[in-house]
Amino acid sequence: MSFSALNESIAGDMADLSWEKPKNLQKAKRSERYKFLVGGVLILLAVLYLLVSGTLQGARYFITVNDVVSDRAYLGKTVRISGAVDGETIDYDSENAIIRFEIVNIPGEFDDLASALRDALADAEAARLQIVVEDEAMPDLLQHEAQAILTGSLEADGIFHASELLLKCPSRFEETSPEGLSAIPEHSLAGSE
Amino acid sequence: MLAEIGLVSLALAFALAVYATLAAVTSRVRRNPALLYSGRDAALLTFPALLLAVGALIAALMSEQYQMSYVWSVTDPQTPALYRFTALWGSQRGSLLFWSLLLSLFIFGAISLNWRSERRLMPYAIATMMATLAFFLGLSLFLENPFERWWIIPDLPEAEQVVETALIPPGAVAPEPGSLANTATGLNPLLRHFGMIIHPPMLYLGFVGFTIPFAFALAALLSGDLSTGWIRATRRWTLIAWIFLSLGLILGGRWAYDVLGWGGYWGWDPVENAAFLPWLVGTAFIHSVMIQEKRGMLKTWNMVLVIATFSAVMFGTFATRSGVIESVHSFARSEIGFPMLAFWSVMTLIAASALLWRRGRGELQGEHQFANILSRESLFVLNNVIFIALFAAIFWGSFGLPIVSELFLGVEVTIGPATFEFYTVPLFIAMYLLMGIAPLSAWGATSLRRLGSALALPLALTLLCVALLVVSGTSVIVALAGYGVALFAGFVAIYEIFRGARARRRGGGEGWFGATAALFRRNQRRYGGYVVHLGVTVIGIGVIGSTIFQTEAQYTVARGDSVVVRDYSLRFDNYFRAQAVDGRMMNIAEVTLSRHGEPIAQLRPRIDDYPQMPMTIAGAHSTLENDFYVLLIGGSVERATFRIYINPLINLVWWGGILLILGTVIAAYPKVVPAARSRKREVAES
Repeated sequence: MSFSALNESIAGDMADLSWEKPKNLQKAKRSERYKFLVGGVLILLAVLYLLVSGTLQGARYFITVNDVVSDRAYLGKTVRISGAVDGETIDYDSENAIIRFEIVNIPGEFDDLASALRDALADAEAARLQIVVEDEAMPDLLQHEAQAILTGSLEADGIFHASELLLKCPSRFEETSPEGLSAIPEHSLAGSE
Repeated sequence: MLAEIGLVSLALAFALAVYATLAAVTSRVRRNPALLYSGRDAALLTFPALLLAVGALIAALMSEQYQMSYVWSVTDPQTPALYRFTALWGSQRGSLLFWSLLLSLFIFGAISLNWRSERRLMPYAIATMMATLAFFLGLSLFLENPFERWWIIPDLPEAEQVVETALIPPGAVAPEPGSLANTATGLNPLLRHFGMIIHPPMLYLGFVGFTIPFAFALAALLSGDLSTGWIRATRRWTLIAWIFLSLGLILGGRWAYDVLGWGGYWGWDPVENAAFLPWLVGTAFIHSVMIQEKRGMLKTWNMVLVIATFSAVMFGTFATRSGVIESVHSFARSEIGFPMLAFWSVMTLIAASALLWRRGRGELQGEHQFANILSRESLFVLNNVIFIALFAAIFWGSFGLPIVSELFLGVEVTIGPATFEFYTVPLFIAMYLLMGIAPLSAWGATSLRRLGSALALPLALTLLCVALLVVSGTSVIVALAGYGVALFAGFVAIYEIFRGARARRRGGGEGWFGATAALFRRNQRRYGGYVVHLGVTVIGIGVIGSTIFQTEAQYTVARGDSVVVRDYSLRFDNYFRAQAVDGRMMNIAEVTLSRHGEPIAQLRPRIDDYPQMPMTIAGAHSTLENDFYVLLIGGSVERATFRIYINPLINLVWWGGILLILGTVIAAYPKVVPAARSRKREVAES
């Protein structure tokens, strides 16, 4: 809303407007309506500007390990990737707060994240990527077969430098993990016989 | 036995809900009041039926019935009693049933309390509420049944012998209980925190609560009774739902802060955002509904907001529970995604069509026009614009952009917390400014001179405070501006309460306390609202302080040595391992915290070794000024590594939250005057 619009409305002093004077109301309405329209358009433009510029600046592709390793276009660009954590490679330098580990590509389509992660890690051919995260506390969930979602960029040293690290551990908490479950009552069958 | 009781009562509740939906609609179409009574009774009975079902599940959890697969998946023999109980909402299936119970509780209340006054709205209101309940009960019964049990069918090939079903399959034998207990999974250790004990129920209450306003709004649209009845019936329910949703959001933040150990409380994760979205639209509605009450304006818009709130709740539930959206809140990817999406779109479509139809018939005409751009109604509209812009920005960032880019670019594009802040900070600033100006404006029209004189005192106080901050050494411009804007809104709220009390004192010769109390009693919503504004101010100051001035550092310290962080110092005294009652090993560091050289606390940050994962438990020393928060990263008797956070003013976030809840309770609290008289007076007032 522009300041001149505000001043105009005061100059008109709408305070004496009342509902019994329909003529006045009509007249005032048109000029006011114009102000509302201008104000509304300005607000809309401001919000759109906010959204568009924010999105252009902050947008990053959410891609796979395969994508980032195979396509040089992503080199040095901030992207978001997801991969399966290989537990044996996790190394935490607590003096300098640097986390290093490797992730393995997870195939695009899957039904059950827990088994997708397990399969990905079992696949010796799958693309791997070294990760380094600086100045970060060691997350409790960083362990074998976790899914890591990382924001950062692949640098010329061949290492993915991440600034943000999110982790999920489906194999540990998912309630319906068929392979895990089928073993249980088999045990119990043996026990009852 | 418990499984059977649960299953039968769940099925009964489902049947009752379906029957009530059909009976309520038919009663209206056939003009048969007897059928409406019958539908109402069925609707009321869903609550005891579900109470029984949930009771059976709780009893099974408490008595360790591991044959029930839900019990098996969320508890183990080491789980303490309290967490056995809260395991009810520890995972999808139980929480879905619990959700239905809370929904039926709200419906029970809404029907009992509004039956007499809103009889004409009841047929469609009952139908809407019961259809929603029936949908969720259907999910529980057919897709996510918490009463399924493990069975062994010896006749089948070995790989298929083990089944998980609700009904006993032919030829099945029960597995041996002891071996089931040995393999039970136990509750996710991250969920063992007081925030997690109450956060989900509060959030669910908030979510399901918005079903009631939606049902009455839809009933008004479908029946054509668009008088103020539906607003009267819904505004208190909206406030109640809003209290719980706010509480749920605050507790969720508190849980994240305490448990996740990154020193923050809001991460702009899609699931957090999904819970915040209905809050934003709901807040817009709470404000704009006042314009309809006072001025008979914005009738269509208010309908849009009620529908959008419910729609956002359903979308949020879908987003959280279906597992389709990438989030750290790891609910399993599940089968309920598609039905939820379908239900969400059908309900939204029905409501939107009904709205367009009534609008097309000219039944939602406003009684006044917007006459002045500075009038309170105009500023309220502006407030709505800001809440909707926040909604749009957060929705776009969390769901719109990823979905659209996936569809049209073939690759998912996402944004991070920094971009969410870029979107929302300017909008939040505008919100605080409006929170300061709008309460001082008048209905109909306000002159700039009057507004200016009302603003003078709060503005002067704000400038004084900012000047004091500068003198005391705060030099970050962004922080000063932020504090200023938030303080301004707070001073206006206090000033308004003060003005009202002063006027009463002059009029009636009451003391300050008496006058203020009488003021709150006479206009609960208005003055309760100011307390909410104060709460939001306090939260704002906490957010600014803890975001801009957070200190984060990591040190490795030899035993007996100290590190200095700002004016604190931390001495590493001891390191040992101990065993907890439930058998887990704890790695504990003992440290002494000093400030300005004076020892102020002994802290014990530790790492607990749960079977599933290690869990870092922070040591914290909390004052209103600062939270000193230390994590044990690792160590031995000689050396240990600590990560230290100093979060200034963070406790104001929680205290502001309490103020906000208190204010809403004041606003929603039932009037003490008898119902009939108060209604007459309200009519006279408007």
